[in-house]
Amino acid sequence: MIEVAGLRKTYGDFAAVVDSDFSVGEGEVFGIVGPNGAGKTTTLKILAGLVEPTAGEARVAGYDSTEPAMRHHLGFLPEESPLYEEMTATSYLRFFADLYDVPRPVANERIEDALDRLELDHRDRRLGDVSKGMKRKVAIARSLVNDPDVLVYDEPASGLDPVTTNSVLEFTRELRAAGKTVVFSAHNLYHVESVCDRVVIMNEGRIVARGTVDGIRERHGETTYHVYTDISPDLEAIRNDHDGSLPDATVEAVGDRFRTAVPTIDAVETVRGAAATAGGAVVDIRTREPSLEDVFLELVGRPMPGRRAGDRMDESDDATSTDRPEGRE
Amino acid sequence: MRTRLKRVLRVARWEASRASGGVDRRTVLAAVALLAIAGTVVGAGVAAGVVGLDVDRDVYRVGVDADSSYADAVEGEPALTLVPAERATLGTNADLVVHDRGAMEGVVVRATDTSKGEAAAAEFREAVEAHNERLMYAELNRTAAFPLTVTLQYASPSGPSGDDPTVGDDPTVGDDPTGDRGTGEGDVDGVDEPTSDGSMDEPTSGDGVDDRDEGAGDDEDASLGGDVDDTSADADGEESGLASDGGADGEDEDDGGFAVPSIGGEAFGAGTVGSPGSITPPFPFASLVLAFVFLVPMNFLVQAYGSSVLSERTKRRGEPLLVTPLSPVDIVAGKTLPYVAVAVAVTALIAVVVGGGPVSVLAILPVAAAFLAATFVGAVFARSFKELTFVTVAVSVLLTSYAFVPAIFTNVTPVALISPLTLVVFDLQGEAVSLGEFLFSTGPTAIAAVLLFGLGLGVYREEDLFTQKPVSRKFLDALAVRLYAVGEGVRRPPGLAARLPDRIRGLAAVAFLTACTIPFVFVAELLAVAVLFALPVTVSIPVLLVTIAFIEEVAKSLHLYAGFEREVFARTDRVALAVGLASGIGFFLAEKATAVVQAVGLTELYVGRAAFGSVAGVAGLSPLVLAALFFAPLVVHGVTTALTAVGASRNRTYYAVALALATLLHAAYNFGVLGIHG
Repeated sequence: MIEVAGLRKTYGDFAAVVDSDFSVGEGEVFGIVGPNGAGKTTTLKILAGLVEPTAGEARVAGYDSTEPAMRHHLGFLPEESPLYEEMTATSYLRFFADLYDVPRPVANERIEDALDRLELDHRDRRLGDVSKGMKRKVAIARSLVNDPDVLVYDEPASGLDPVTTNSVLEFTRELRAAGKTVVFSAHNLYHVESVCDRVVIMNEGRIVARGTVDGIRERHGETTYHVYTDISPDLEAIRNDHDGSLPDATVEAVGDRFRTAVPTIDAVETVRGAAATAGGAVVDIRTREPSLEDVFLELVGRPMPGRRAGDRMDESDDATSTDRPEGRE
Repeated sequence: MRTRLKRVLRVARWEASRASGGVDRRTVLAAVALLAIAGTVVGAGVAAGVVGLDVDRDVYRVGVDADSSYADAVEGEPALTLVPAERATLGTNADLVVHDRGAMEGVVVRATDTSKGEAAAAEFREAVEAHNERLMYAELNRTAAFPLTVTLQYASPSGPSGDDPTVGDDPTVGDDPTGDRGTGEGDVDGVDEPTSDGSMDEPTSGDGVDDRDEGAGDDEDASLGGDVDDTSADADGEESGLASDGGADGEDEDDGGFAVPSIGGEAFGAGTVGSPGSITPPFPFASLVLAFVFLVPMNFLVQAYGSSVLSERTKRRGEPLLVTPLSPVDIVAGKTLPYVAVAVAVTALIAVVVGGGPVSVLAILPVAAAFLAATFVGAVFARSFKELTFVTVAVSVLLTSYAFVPAIFTNVTPVALISPLTLVVFDLQGEAVSLGEFLFSTGPTAIAAVLLFGLGLGVYREEDLFTQKPVSRKFLDALAVRLYAVGEGVRRPPGLAARLPDRIRGLAAVAFLTACTIPFVFVAELLAVAVLFALPVTVSIPVLLVTIAFIEEVAKSLHLYAGFEREVFARTDRVALAVGLASGIGFFLAEKATAVVQAVGLTELYVGRAAFGSVAGVAGLSPLVLAALFFAPLVVHGVTTALTAVGASRNRTYYAVALALATLLHAAYNFGVLGIHG
């Protein structure tokens, strides 16, 4: 449904997107994640036909993204979506349905359906008087008035409360169930993990990882073993004795116990020995799988080469994530 | 197409409801009330004849016998109040007392020995003179009343001689056999018929017609209020009209074909009858005031329109519209349509109120379009409402000046026709407007409006609308977006590369964009003429020629600089030379095309005559010289633009230096051609 090949977008000397390639199948929810300025929003805007690529090609629903005909098959939700506040939700959605040449009876049906599914109340209240969550839902409903095949959502849950966020995420799953193709960007990696079938991780305009969430975790993440002891092991002594075999081990007090994180089973045994030497014992061992966030931090924690600093044009990647998910143990 | 129109209308309906929804009812009512009050005041003023609103009414008290002939003079002057002589006491209830002792003993006038008394005496003297002239007007035998006819011509300040032209220059000026611009050629002739409407103080509607027609060389209508010798009318009108060529003549002179009439050189005399002291310049004051009323609503309209466009940008509310099947043209058309409709409605309403006709409405529409287009560009370029305020004020002041100032000279000089408002003045004066005049007056404004909308539409896209780029960068973006890639190694937009792989298309786009600057060059040069024409020729001609050269060099090269800066063109000398030559050719052709349009379509106009006159002026030259003169501008434009293009392909500093050099080169050529023509 979406084919992106050799996509590149530059603003003067600044490269916002560099040689991006990916494809998205029908009925798939595809995530694009990355830090601020990674090129996520620019990529989505190219898919939506808002930004013309400098090089490469983006095809959406069989059309080049620059073709006006493509827009009939696309629903777009920008990260910021101010509405016409003097209109009501219903009149606002009808207006956009008219622009897509949707017959009025069909439009009314779709609007009612979308608003019902999004559990949107106050449909005849001025949009200037409704909450931010309601406005976001109206914006999502707007992306559906033309019954598009492809939905491009940029930070759909940005700034929403947890209840509304869950509602939006659940709605995204419903779209997938309805056979829609959704491309979804988010800073909140938990949202991406919980909704997306496949993801790409972007950093400084380039795709640095791609695949299913599990696949990426498997390829780029490492399992960590948490060894709980009733006494603090002497890591310095262990390192001296084992000639640097525990370079990344850390000890952290957790209640009345001590947690040592080590990367291998052999290291677990070393910790066990060190605890015994100190007169203590291992009381628990847990395996911790890497989260997407761990992979993300691992991948984007290093600078990418071949990208010059410049006057960034697209500032819409500014939102920051504050609610990172805990890793799964 | 129907679907597209439907979408545009849908956007228009939304914009109309949104705009009207943004103003509460009380504000609307207050605005309507204010408009009604203003309309009443203006209407009352107009009904009173505007000039009839005398603030100095009944200032001086004059004692005079009611049976005296001086009583009529006093009653005819609003500043004077008649006090019956038997009750008048000097210094008490009268500032001035008239003792009329009959034809034999004469009249004795006594005034109080105060400054007011002196002023009263002076006012009384003028009242008597005016009264006497009114009596002479009433005389059926006009020859007896006014035995001498003088054809009056208003001279250009730059000199009376045909060898000393006004701003610009034209070979026909020097060759003018009469050489009589501004000489006040007097054709003494008997006057044998009175007029019924001859006012001494200002021309009536009929006056205006005759004045203008005479200037156009219409023998039949050459005189007002009397028959002026046909021969003299022809000479005064026809030849003076040609001899007055100036304006962008420097341009015309240099490049062979963009003729503009001069300011102030055309005869309009014979419009008044009376004593010399009562002759005043024939400014159509009342009509001008009424014509100005047409411009007032535009200033309010652009505020609302500019705010609407900028609001879409600053709040990013316009972004979802860009994702719909509507093109930017559709969106802008839809958003603009309600304001155009309001402009039409208000203009039509004003026309009905002030007595204008369809010509007034049609003449104002391009002005309204120019207001909206300039505001649109400003709103698309501005980064904040603060900047927008500056833009809208600038637009209001500049366009109002451009429309109003030339119209002041409606009955004086044909250069007034550069303003559509002049057509309104004609319409209000009851004069017919030819199609040529209409096109000449409204054409440049309408074309400029279309081009301005095109300029703004170039950056009506996500990456320009919702960013805080400086105006200069957006301007370059707006120009560059209209260009196509030229040269190897440049980045080509994917769709574009597939459609326009040919360098020819790229060069054609350059030439076309250059040609599109012609209306703006035209307006800028006219403004330069308007500013400089009052200066002595020794100053105005050099400054004008350099100014014109600079204007043209900027027009030919700015988009080339944008093309290089935005990497549409490869930065090589070969590409620079190619695009420079293409731009020069585009300018040359557009210039010639404009001259052809003027010559073929606007023959009734002074400017059309000026164009033909220019050709006629070189009729004696050999074909080889004529061909050289015809193609020399092509060489100049090609060389200078190639020079600036090479500079533009380097960087901004090189471009500035190259532009200065090209301007000097172009100006030197202008001086050279001026020397050839003498």
